[in-house]
Amino acid sequence: MSVVIDPILLEVLRNRLDTIADEMELTLLKSAVSPIVKEGLDASAALFNVRGETIAQAAAIPIHLGALQFTAQRIVRAFPPEAMREGDAFLLNDPYDGGTHLPDITLAVPVFADGRAAALACTMCHHQDVGGRTPGSVPTDATELYQEGLIIPPTQLFRAGELDENLLALLARNVRLPDVFTGDLMAQVAAGRLGGTRLRELFAAHGADTVQAYIEELLARAERLTRAQIEAIPDGAYTFEDYLDDDGVDVGRPITIRVTLRVHGSSMTFDFTGTDPQVRGPFNSVPASTMSAVYYAVRAISDASIPNNGGCFRAVDAVLPEGTLVNPRPPAPVSCRTATIKRIADTILGALVRALPGRMPAASSGTLLVLAFGGVDPSTGRPFVASELAAGGMGARPGKDGIDCIETDVSNCMNIPVESVEMNFPLRIPRMRLWADSGGAGTWRGGLGLEKVYEATTTDVTVSHRGERFTSAPWGLEGGEPGRSGRAFILRRDGPREELPSKKMIVLHPGDQLWEYIAGGAGFGPPGERDPALVLADVLDGKVTPPGPDSARAPSR
Amino acid sequence: MQIGVDIGGTFTDIVALDRDGRVTLTKVPSTPKDLLEGVGAGVQRVLRLAGASPEAVERFIHGTTIATNAILEQKGALMAILTTEGFEDVLELGRQKRARMYDLDMDPETPTFLAPRRRRIGIRERLDARGRVLTPLDEGQVRAAALGLRGQGVQAIAVCYLFSFVNPAHERRTREICREVAPEISVSLSSEVDPTFREYERTCVTAFDAYLGPVVKRYLAGLAATLGELGVRAVPLIMRSRGGIVSAALAAEQPVTLFLSGPAGGVIGAKVAAARAGVRDFVSLDMGGTSNDVAVVRDGEPLIASEGAIGPYPVRTPMVDVSTIGAGGGSLAWIDAAGGLRVGPRSAGAEPGPACYGRGGDQATVTDASLVLGYLNPDRFAGGLMALDPGAAEKALAAIGRKLGLDPVAAAAGIHRVINARMADQIRLVTIKRGYDPRRFVLVVLGGAGPVHGVPLAGEMGMAEVLVPEAPGVLAATGLLFAAIEHHHARTLQAPTEAIDLAAVNRCLAELDAAGGMRMRSERAPVGEVRVAYAADMRYVGQAYELEVPIVAPVVREGMPAILGAFHAVHDRVYGYARPQQPVEFVNFRAVHTYPLPPPALRPTARPVGTIEHARLGERRAWFGHAGFVATAIYDRARLPLGARVAGPAIIEQADTTTVLPPAHEARVDEAGNLRLRRTA
Repeated sequence: MSVVIDPILLEVLRNRLDTIADEMELTLLKSAVSPIVKEGLDASAALFNVRGETIAQAAAIPIHLGALQFTAQRIVRAFPPEAMREGDAFLLNDPYDGGTHLPDITLAVPVFADGRAAALACTMCHHQDVGGRTPGSVPTDATELYQEGLIIPPTQLFRAGELDENLLALLARNVRLPDVFTGDLMAQVAAGRLGGTRLRELFAAHGADTVQAYIEELLARAERLTRAQIEAIPDGAYTFEDYLDDDGVDVGRPITIRVTLRVHGSSMTFDFTGTDPQVRGPFNSVPASTMSAVYYAVRAISDASIPNNGGCFRAVDAVLPEGTLVNPRPPAPVSCRTATIKRIADTILGALVRALPGRMPAASSGTLLVLAFGGVDPSTGRPFVASELAAGGMGARPGKDGIDCIETDVSNCMNIPVESVEMNFPLRIPRMRLWADSGGAGTWRGGLGLEKVYEATTTDVTVSHRGERFTSAPWGLEGGEPGRSGRAFILRRDGPREELPSKKMIVLHPGDQLWEYIAGGAGFGPPGERDPALVLADVLDGKVTPPGPDSARAPSR
Repeated sequence: MQIGVDIGGTFTDIVALDRDGRVTLTKVPSTPKDLLEGVGAGVQRVLRLAGASPEAVERFIHGTTIATNAILEQKGALMAILTTEGFEDVLELGRQKRARMYDLDMDPETPTFLAPRRRRIGIRERLDARGRVLTPLDEGQVRAAALGLRGQGVQAIAVCYLFSFVNPAHERRTREICREVAPEISVSLSSEVDPTFREYERTCVTAFDAYLGPVVKRYLAGLAATLGELGVRAVPLIMRSRGGIVSAALAAEQPVTLFLSGPAGGVIGAKVAAARAGVRDFVSLDMGGTSNDVAVVRDGEPLIASEGAIGPYPVRTPMVDVSTIGAGGGSLAWIDAAGGLRVGPRSAGAEPGPACYGRGGDQATVTDASLVLGYLNPDRFAGGLMALDPGAAEKALAAIGRKLGLDPVAAAAGIHRVINARMADQIRLVTIKRGYDPRRFVLVVLGGAGPVHGVPLAGEMGMAEVLVPEAPGVLAATGLLFAAIEHHHARTLQAPTEAIDLAAVNRCLAELDAAGGMRMRSERAPVGEVRVAYAADMRYVGQAYELEVPIVAPVVREGMPAILGAFHAVHDRVYGYARPQQPVEFVNFRAVHTYPLPPPALRPTARPVGTIEHARLGERRAWFGHAGFVATAIYDRARLPLGARVAGPAIIEQADTTTVLPPAHEARVDEAGNLRLRRTA
C-alpha cells in the first residue's frame, strides 16, 4: 500500500518501536535467574518483520543483534508466518541452522494483526549451562558440536498458548542447572509476550497497515542513509589480515582471517576469501556469527542517528567461503566463537582503516577473556558453575587515548563483582587492577589491559580458560605501537609456575592461583609527539612505568 | 513561622507558613556562583512579604542542588581513595560495559575524575566473604599514606576495603589513624556510607561522599551563617534524596544523601497536594526548562529506589525513584539523518533560551511551539515577568518546518507530538520497570511546562485523569514543609530463608535499630514518636538483583511464611512470575526511622465566590489537533471558585504555569483547590 509519510508520526513510531525493544530487554534482564544474564547482561531483545528484518533493537550486545536477524530469518523459513498462531513460541540454538553457539538460545513470539502474523518479538539469552562435556558449555577443547551441549533445531515450545511440557522436560534434563535454565527460558517467554502486547497496542492505536507501512519506510530510510555513507568511501578493494592465536586443539598454530572490502558505489562486499579452513577446536564462526561482526562495523562507521534496523544492512553483503573459519561445515565445534568474531571485527576495521585513513582507531585488545569455573561447593555440597567475562584495553583514537579496560566492538558484557564471586563460589580474587605498561605507546596511548588473579579455595576446580592475543598483538596506526599481548599462568600453591597457552582446560586446588593478563589497546601516532603533560600524568598514575612501555616485568607473588 | 526554600536551576522558590496557616509564596533568581546569595535574598523577601520578623521563624527547611552541582561541574574536594591492595582500580574499571555501543569516539564512563590513579592507594589488608581476617591491616602503611596525601593537600579520603560491610574493623581503624595523622582531612568509610556488597557501586558512592563532604559542610556552615546574619535562629533542616529531612549537622555527615534533594521535594509536594484530594496512586511529571522528572506514588508513598545514577555513574544511596530525561520547555527541535523530527535532549537552557525569549536564540523549542499554538500568553508568561516574542517563535518554527515541508503551525504541533511521545515512553519504562499499569494512576503535572502537556500525555497513556496542584511551579518548596525527619540504614547479610539463623538476622536488625535510634536522639526526636519500618532485600538463590520486602522485627519462625509470600507476590508483580518452590535468600536488611513532625495547619486560601465568568480573562485562538485553531476561553486560575467546572477548549492561566484543556475535556476545581482534568466524551 502507498501511504503519505508524516515525518512526525514517523518519529513517534520509531521512538515507540525502540522503547518496545527496551521494555522487552528490561523484562528479560529483570526476570532472568542466572548471574550471567543479570550481572553480565548477556541477553538481547529485538523486533522483526515477517521477512526477518530487524525493526528495532534494545541497546545491548552487538554480537547478538547481528546474529538475531539471521536467527529470525531461519525461524520464518522453518515456520511460515501464515501457519503461525496466537500464543505460539519458537526456539532455536542450532549454529548450523540459524544459531550462533549453543548457550545462546533464541525465543521468538509471533505478533498478530488482523489474524495474520505481522512481526516477531525475539530475545536471545546466553544460558549458564546447556549441557555438554564441561560446566558452562564452552569447552575450549571440543572437537565436535555434540560435545558442546544440547542442540535445538528450529522447534516450537508453545502451541497456541500451550506449553510443550515434554519438550521442556527433555531440555531441562540435558542441562546441569535445570532450575536456572527453565527460569531464564521463562524470562524469555515473558519478554517476548510483553513485546507482542505492546506491538498489538501500537497496531490498535494507529492501524496495523499504517504502522507496517511506516516500518517499511524506516527500513527504506535506513538503507538510503547507509548507502549515502558508503558512497562517501572511495571505490576500491581494501584487504587486511589478522590472526587468532590458535584453536585450543592445534596449540600454537595461528589462524589467518583475511578480508577484502570491496566498495562499489553505494554497496559494500566483505569477501573472506583467503581465510584459513575451519579448525578442529571450537573457534569456528557460523555465518550468523560472522555477519554480526560485519553489521557491527557498518553501524560503527554510520551516523548514530540513522534508525538502527535491518535496512542498514541491505547495502552490505559478504562472501563466506564454505569450509573456512567464517563458514564451517558441521559438525565443527563453535562454542568459543566470541574470540573469532572479535578478531573478524578487528580484521574488518583494519580493512576500513585502509578505506578511511585517519578516521579509524587503532586495534583494541581483541579479547573478551571467558572463564568458566566448575566443581563442588564444599559449603553446600552441590555443584557450582561460575562464569567470568573480562575486557582489555581500547585502541587509541585519532585525537583521544584508548579507554583503559572496557568492552569494545562486538562484545559488551559486564564483569561480575569480586564480592559477588567470593560470596557465592569457592574462589578468591587476590588482585584485579589495570595492567601497567600494557597500552601501546603513541601520540594517543592505547587503553591498558587487565591483570586479574583467581585462587581456588577447594579441590578440583576445573577452569575453562579462554584468552586471546597471546601470540599476536593489537596493531597500532600511523606510528603508534602495538598493545601488549595477553598472557596467563598458574602459580601452584607449592611454587611452580606453569605458563599457559591462550586456551586450556585446567584444574586448580586450594591455594593454586590463575594469573590472567588481558591485552592492552594499541597506540595511534608517533609516541614522540605525545603531549608531555599526558606522559607525566601516565607516569604519576603508574599507568606507564619508567623506563618505558617495553620493560617486561615478570609478575611475582 | 515555617519557611521552605527550594533551589532550582533557574529560580529559588520560597514558601512561608505562619502560625495562622497563612501561606506566602515567592521566587528569586537562583545564584549558581553562590547559591546562598539567592537563599538569603529569598528569605528576606518572603519575610517582608509576610510581614514577619526573623525571630518568628521556628522551622527552616531547605532543598538544595549543591551536591548535584558539585558533581556535574566537577567542583568537589581534592580526594583520595584507600582500597584493599590489588584493587586500586575498582573505581576506574567499573563494570566494563559501555553505554555507547557503536561510538568509536566515546569517553570513559566511570568517575575517574574523583580520584586519578595516583590518589588511589592500595593498603595491605584483606577479609574473606565472611569477614574473617586473611591479611591484618598494615597500620604503618595507612599512616604513611595519610601523611603523603596530607602533603598533597588532599581534603577528603574514601576508604573502601573489600567485605568491609561484613566486618568494618579495618575501615574504622584506618579512620582512627587518619584522624591522628591528618585531623583536617574528612574520611568517608564505605562500611558506613553504604554497607552492602558489589565493590564498584560501593566505592563510587563512598568516593562521591568524600568528594562532596567538604563542599557540603562549607555550604551548610554558610547556610547557618546566612540565617544567623538575617536573625533567623531556627536550626536548618535539609531535604535528602529519599524524601525525608534531617538536621544540617547530620546532613553534613552523609553528604551523598543530598544529591537528589531538589526532585525529592517536588514529589513530596505532589504527594501532599494529591493526598488533600484523596488521590493516593499517581505518576508525577515535573517538566521544567531542561528536563522532565517522572516518579510513581503508590498508596500515598513515593516509590524508593535503593540506587540511582548521576550521568553514567551509579550512586547507590536510597532515593525517591525519579527518572529524568532531557525534555523540557527549552528542548531544541532538530532533524536527524533520516529526516525525522527530533526534540531534545539538548536544551536552549536559560541563556539564550527559546527563540521567543528574544535573547538571541533562533532554534525552535517546545516553548516556541506552545506559543505559536496559542497555549501561552505572550504578555503574562511567568506571571508577567517576561514578555514573549511570537514573531521570533514563528520564524524559528518556519525554519525547521521548511526542511520538513510543514508550515510553522504544523511544525509546532509536530514538536508537541514528538516531545509528548518521548515523555509517554519515559512513563512507560518507569512503570513497567516497577511492575505497575499506568492506566490505574492519576497523572499529577508539575513544573512550568507540565500542565501544558498533561492532557495529551494522559490520553496517550490511557490515564483517566490529570491533576494540576494549586501552585505546581513552587511545589518543591511547599513539599519541604510536610516532610518527616528520616534516617535510613542498610546492611548486607546474606542468609538463606531455609534453615535460617534467626539470631543473626535479629542481631542485624537490632544493630540497624540502634544506629537509627542514635541518629534520632541527635535530632532530639521524642522517643515515643519515632516509627521504625524494616525491610529485607530478597531474591531467589542464584539471582543477582534483589527486591525489597517489608518485614517486622524481630523476625520469628512463624512469620517466615508471610515474608516469603510477600516476596513471591512482589516478584510476581515486578517480574511477571513467582517460583514458590525455589529457594529464597535474604541479601540486605534495611531500617527506616521516621519522626513525622507535627503537620503544619494550612488555612484554606480565601476562595473567590461567584461564577467562572468572573475568572474569564478573554479569548484567543489555540490549536487543537483535527479541530485546528479554535476560539478558546482564557481563565484566571486565582479567580476560579471551588467546585467550578470549566469546559474545554480552555486555557487556565496562573503566575507559575498554564493549564491547557482541549475540547471534549472538563476541568473541575476540587475542594483542595487542585484542577482535575478529565475527558467528557
